[in-house]
Amino acid sequence: MGGPGAKMADGVGGRGGRADAGRHGAERRATQARTGYHADLMPRPEWFNAQFIVSVITILIVVHVLLVMAGISIYLERKISAWMQDRVGPNRTGFDLGLPLLKKLTRGFGFWGLGQSLADGIKMMLKEDWTPPKADKVLFMLAPAIIVIPALIGFAIVPWGGEFRFGGFTIPLLNWDIPLETVQVIGANINIGLVYLLAVASLGIYGVVLGSWASNNKYSFLGGLRASSQMLSYEIPMGLSILSVLLVTGTLLPTAVLDYQLEHGWLIFAQPLVGVIFFICILAECNRAPFDNAECESELVGGYHTEYSSMRFGLFFLAEYTHMATNSAIFAVLFLGGWTLLPWVDIPLLRAEDVGLLAVLAKFAVLFGKVVLLICFMMVIRWSLPRLRFDQVMQMGWQAMIPLSLVLVLVNTVLVYYNFFAMSPTLVMLVSNVAVVALILAVIPFLPRATSNRKIRLSGSRFSALEA
Amino acid sequence: MTPTMIPTLANTDIASYLLILILIGGAISFAVINLGASYLLGPRRQGQTKGITYESGMNPVGTARKRFNVRFYLIAMVFLVFDIEIIFLYPWAVTFSNVDHTMTDALTWLGRILFFILTTIVAYVYGMRKGVFKFD
Repeated sequence: MGGPGAKMADGVGGRGGRADAGRHGAERRATQARTGYHADLMPRPEWFNAQFIVSVITILIVVHVLLVMAGISIYLERKISAWMQDRVGPNRTGFDLGLPLLKKLTRGFGFWGLGQSLADGIKMMLKEDWTPPKADKVLFMLAPAIIVIPALIGFAIVPWGGEFRFGGFTIPLLNWDIPLETVQVIGANINIGLVYLLAVASLGIYGVVLGSWASNNKYSFLGGLRASSQMLSYEIPMGLSILSVLLVTGTLLPTAVLDYQLEHGWLIFAQPLVGVIFFICILAECNRAPFDNAECESELVGGYHTEYSSMRFGLFFLAEYTHMATNSAIFAVLFLGGWTLLPWVDIPLLRAEDVGLLAVLAKFAVLFGKVVLLICFMMVIRWSLPRLRFDQVMQMGWQAMIPLSLVLVLVNTVLVYYNFFAMSPTLVMLVSNVAVVALILAVIPFLPRATSNRKIRLSGSRFSALEA
Repeated sequence: MTPTMIPTLANTDIASYLLILILIGGAISFAVINLGASYLLGPRRQGQTKGITYESGMNPVGTARKRFNVRFYLIAMVFLVFDIEIIFLYPWAVTFSNVDHTMTDALTWLGRILFFILTTIVAYVYGMRKGVFKFD
């Protein structure tokens, strides 16, 4: 038990080490006498420290919260769309599953159609797992798994609850001492941080491409083509806007980005333009409206999951909603100050130096509240804006978002180089963002008009279905 | 009180990636269990026209294994150029705040990275002139 008195005065060369070993030996003998177990058989591995235990607990909790959140998101989406379209939405389904006994037990819980998501999930599980005979069997089966895995591992770098003081106990039976440490409440405290996010976000495209190609269905194929090229295109401005954040904060770690925001205020006030670009890219990456060309119902039925049924379809759905939650969390951490409730204001329990269990829970609640609000905002956007046409989506990506984010990177480079942030970083960055917007507004009239909507003759053009 | 371990790029702790492995294992088992459960639980029926490819109820015309527009391929190629450039810029962005314009070689550092970004812009302008970004 490495208490405060354990540190030896290391005055004379090797004697400290030997004395230390002797002390450990005595301690071990004492614990052996107490528990009747030989600790020597299996010493504590170096990596099994307080950080590891906290990370495992965080992963276990957050995975379940995210999966339940996916169910709640589906219910929320139906309710929000109902409110926005002046309908009622799901309002009957309870938790009784049609069984009389459960009906008696869950009386009073069936209001507002709260059981809708559970019923949906069970229904998906019980439907036929159908593979079309013309499909590529192996890839058809693999695609939902491949799309759901990146969606489930992306949240690992989100710092959910700041720092936590943990340890100072012994695991029984194994006799492993866990030293008391201040650790991060994070899935995996890896030091490539945001690069991991970009790497994982790109992997989801494989599932879309494989699923769409393996289905051997024209709707799926077109939807997959659209989805993959759209996700590729919007990854570039996403990477560039993260680059702007990195330039300013000088770190890859999300926790350090949070520290910067604790000191200087939220980055959404400093870099509103970068924040907006990042949010638009999130919408496009998740295939959310107004960028849901991959599955636009009026043209492509269901897009890349047209031929899917049962839980395979469910996994596509789950991946989309989990992706939304993860990306919202990243947006909240990078731009909305993570677990801080108000910018520039210290609230008890929500300060960096609060490391108790209660503080961690409060910080988690604040960050998760932001995630839920962002998801609701995405849904409101979905039911407010009309869907962009596919060429408009691509043009916006390549001819507006990428040059704009490159310009912002260059502006931030110059600002960092001339050390303008020494004065008031938030104000300087805000002024620079406003200046960029003013510049764009000034330049737009002189740019050549990109395209105009024109009629395409069907027969003889390359869009002709008959001559292809 | 032990100071918080803040990992930097210099002191890479391989053990912290163990959690990523655990997470990937968990995600894979989640996917396999879900697919397996729906395979086991669902009914199984065959029908004469059940296996026909869905084309809104019409008889399917041809196959979906067709050649597609070369634009999608071009986008993928240009994406590779940009994505690799961005990944190369990440280490620079993290360390660039150490450069001050009063240092001796500061202008050289700035010039080098501006040249690197310039190559991206050249690629972008080339693609634009070639009509890669025209989608109508």
